[in-house]
Amino acid sequence: MINNSIISAVLYEALKTGGDFSELFLQDTEMNSVSMVNGKVETANYQRKVGAGVRVLKGTSSAYAYCSELGEEALIAAAKAAAAALKGAREFETKAVCAERLGRSGARIPFSEIDNLKRIELLKRGTEAAKAHSSEITQVIASYMDCDHRIWVYNSEGVHAEDRRPRTRFAVQSVAMADGVAQTGSVSPGFGMGFEAYSERIDAEKVGARASEIAVTMLHAPECPSGQMPVVIDGGFGGVILHEACVHGLEATSVGRGNSVFCNKLGQRIASDIVTAVDDGTIPGEWGSMNYDDEGNPAGRNVLIENGVLKSYLVDILGSRLMDHPVTGSGRRQGYDFAPTSRMTNTFFAPGKDDEAEMIASMGEGLFAAKMGGGSVDPLTGEFNFAVSEGYWVKDGKIAYPVRGATLIGKGADVLMKIDRVGKNMWMEPGMCGSVSGSIPTNVGQPRIRVSELTVGGKGGSK
Amino acid sequence: MIGFDEFKEACFRAAKELGCDEAELYAVSDRSFSVNVLDGEIEKYSVAGNTGVNLRVMFNGKNGYAYTEAFEDAQGLAAHAVDNAKVIENDDVHPMQGACSYPEIEKKPNPIVDLTEEEKINIALNLEVDTKAFDDRVNRLSHCSVVTGVSEVHIHNTRGLRADSEDRYSYAVVSPILRQGEDEHSGFAFKFGPDITDYNSIIKESVDNALMEFNAKTVDSGEYRILLRNDAAAELLQAFCGVFFAERVQKGLSLLAGRLNGRIAGEAVSVVDDPFEADNPRAFDDEGVPSVLTNVIENGILKSYLYNLKSALKDGVSSTSNAGRAGAAAPVGTAPSNFYIVKGEKSYKELITELNSGLIITSLDGLHAGLNTVSGDFSLMARGLLVDCGSIIRSVDQITVAGNFLVLMQGILCVGSDLKFGIPGGGRVGSPSLLIDKLVISGK
Repeated sequence: MINNSIISAVLYEALKTGGDFSELFLQDTEMNSVSMVNGKVETANYQRKVGAGVRVLKGTSSAYAYCSELGEEALIAAAKAAAAALKGAREFETKAVCAERLGRSGARIPFSEIDNLKRIELLKRGTEAAKAHSSEITQVIASYMDCDHRIWVYNSEGVHAEDRRPRTRFAVQSVAMADGVAQTGSVSPGFGMGFEAYSERIDAEKVGARASEIAVTMLHAPECPSGQMPVVIDGGFGGVILHEACVHGLEATSVGRGNSVFCNKLGQRIASDIVTAVDDGTIPGEWGSMNYDDEGNPAGRNVLIENGVLKSYLVDILGSRLMDHPVTGSGRRQGYDFAPTSRMTNTFFAPGKDDEAEMIASMGEGLFAAKMGGGSVDPLTGEFNFAVSEGYWVKDGKIAYPVRGATLIGKGADVLMKIDRVGKNMWMEPGMCGSVSGSIPTNVGQPRIRVSELTVGGKGGSK
Repeated sequence: MIGFDEFKEACFRAAKELGCDEAELYAVSDRSFSVNVLDGEIEKYSVAGNTGVNLRVMFNGKNGYAYTEAFEDAQGLAAHAVDNAKVIENDDVHPMQGACSYPEIEKKPNPIVDLTEEEKINIALNLEVDTKAFDDRVNRLSHCSVVTGVSEVHIHNTRGLRADSEDRYSYAVVSPILRQGEDEHSGFAFKFGPDITDYNSIIKESVDNALMEFNAKTVDSGEYRILLRNDAAAELLQAFCGVFFAERVQKGLSLLAGRLNGRIAGEAVSVVDDPFEADNPRAFDDEGVPSVLTNVIENGILKSYLYNLKSALKDGVSSTSNAGRAGAAAPVGTAPSNFYIVKGEKSYKELITELNSGLIITSLDGLHAGLNTVSGDFSLMARGLLVDCGSIIRSVDQITVAGNFLVLMQGILCVGSDLKFGIPGGGRVGSPSLLIDKLVISGK
């Protein structure tokens, strides 16, 4: 994208004040999105983001400068601006390219071959299926996004990496209304694939029908009772519990500065012994996958927890300096306007040995969280909260009726120890994860699990 | 903005050649500096300069958009915008603002922006030293940042609109981690504006917030009389702000549909959208409409929704100058300017006396997930303080607070005098502390 002599000059310029590592990151991303409200196209948008970021490290200090221009002058100016953070003289030279890493896009049908009519056809199919589900559906919002994300990374240690990450996501949100009360249901699958995702992985009608099913079910559900109780969390997006309650606390961003409950716990038991957790950016076609990370390192498959024992953190280049831990291929950023840091990719509880039906049959009274919403966590204390978007009350080991408005709160470290069942069938669902290096696509996943006791919030009175 | 005029003319020409009736270019540029310090050293340092332009065309009465950060290929950009306009099926007309004049806006000067990088770094270093010295339980800081910048917006179109503005901003953020025995808790506070060197108030606020988290316990589940502290109230209002947008009402996605001129809040509650608010004034919104002040709620009665040109035309009213874009790449939508609950008479202390027995909610978590802006229902993790007979007894954590936004608004008994704004972003939302008759708390 930019000629080699300019790249060398930028990396060299950036080290002139004493930095020990310099990096040039380039991005060129094209994105198309279309949204539909009640069967009519509401918006269609195209955007192209192009820019560069120059990073300089000296020990554990980092400086970053970025610009939306790719001309030689602008790049050298960015290198100078980053170098200005340091006040010393040159100590390190740049190395010749010694690691060339070229990631393939893998898209069989590139988005550039798709026009808006194809995108709209999907939205119409999803909308019609959502409306057909029930006469109580009053609103259907469908949206489509595709993105061709291309990055280039060069650093003073001789790494030259390129990656191309196509991804697409399709979402339907249904609103059901009766007697002035409204409830919503939404389903939004996404994959790291080209347009072939819509013939291989995403069924627009199923997405629409499922969104409406959730909305209508919740419309007729009483408020969830509150209190402490056993909770079964279904597979797929249920993995948000792992994402929020644990793995944010395993990112070098928090561990590297001593700001996590999981500091200094490698090799120690942090979860019940039926729990294994993995972050794997290498799975082809998944929403959180990549060939190389945003620091040019190969994406990793990292076993974080194995049979309850903490095995690894998620570590970027700066984190590896802070923690004396090898990098794990976890350096990620939204784009050139963010310096990279340690982030998740596809994060999940590995399949276990327990029977999915038995864990409800033997739980007595409690909550079955069939679909989770989003949540957040304080990495220092591990305190988390997240919403249940489709819940069912379980009585005498049987699903009795749907309940709405439930939230789950607790501390990550406690919950991991209280997992007493892990099911056999694991699947993943996509989300956008926001943190210091911006908003990035990540998958969360798990098989159905049971937590022996969790605090459930809701307005349905005490259990 | 270098190259803007030339690129603009090229885009407008290309749009015309493709058969567009009108074209508009929305351009933003931002130059910023930020530094975060840790243990007396620079931990992170960032210098940024970026520019983006969004071309909006009117083609057969429909809007189409295309955004780029590369000032090249105006024809390609116009072709993308026209492609997008062609597929729009919604028949609502979204007109473009024509030539107009703007109210004089007096922005406070911000000399902090012009300091040298070294001077800005020193502010951050001093902030860290002073925070550590403030209380010996401060063990370290997780954030200690100073950020300054200049952002420009230019909205020009073929109807003669020329809207240009420049904003000079600065803010400081501090987040100390306090340690008592084995226990650690963090606090957070920020300050926007030209007086960030006068940072003692945020040191105290952040340390107090961290101290409040020690020795916290849950409470029994049940209904409690509530004092929602100003910062938590502002966050909740921000999360529900979209229910006031006319475009959401028109699409059937707001719980305020059909409630205009009806009572939606306690009599003590008035809400305004004030683009002239002294700390963050603006002359025009994101589609170049001149600023006007809007009374949204007057003494509990809903008086107006927030409109842009499109939703206003649909309802046959004037725009309330609330066009907003969720970033330069996004199409024109709706956003507040400075949107807040008008302050009342009583201080925070007096409200605690008035609360008598109940809970003060000091922070809410999960606002992006635990609430439903269509139904108004929310269920959020909260922290707070237990109050008995007008005195704070102890800290409270591991609770959720559940309710409905409308029911909460109607249950507001008293509005404090301590108006506070949240972190700006897609508008700026503020609230004083609010005394509320009851909310459902689940604890143990």
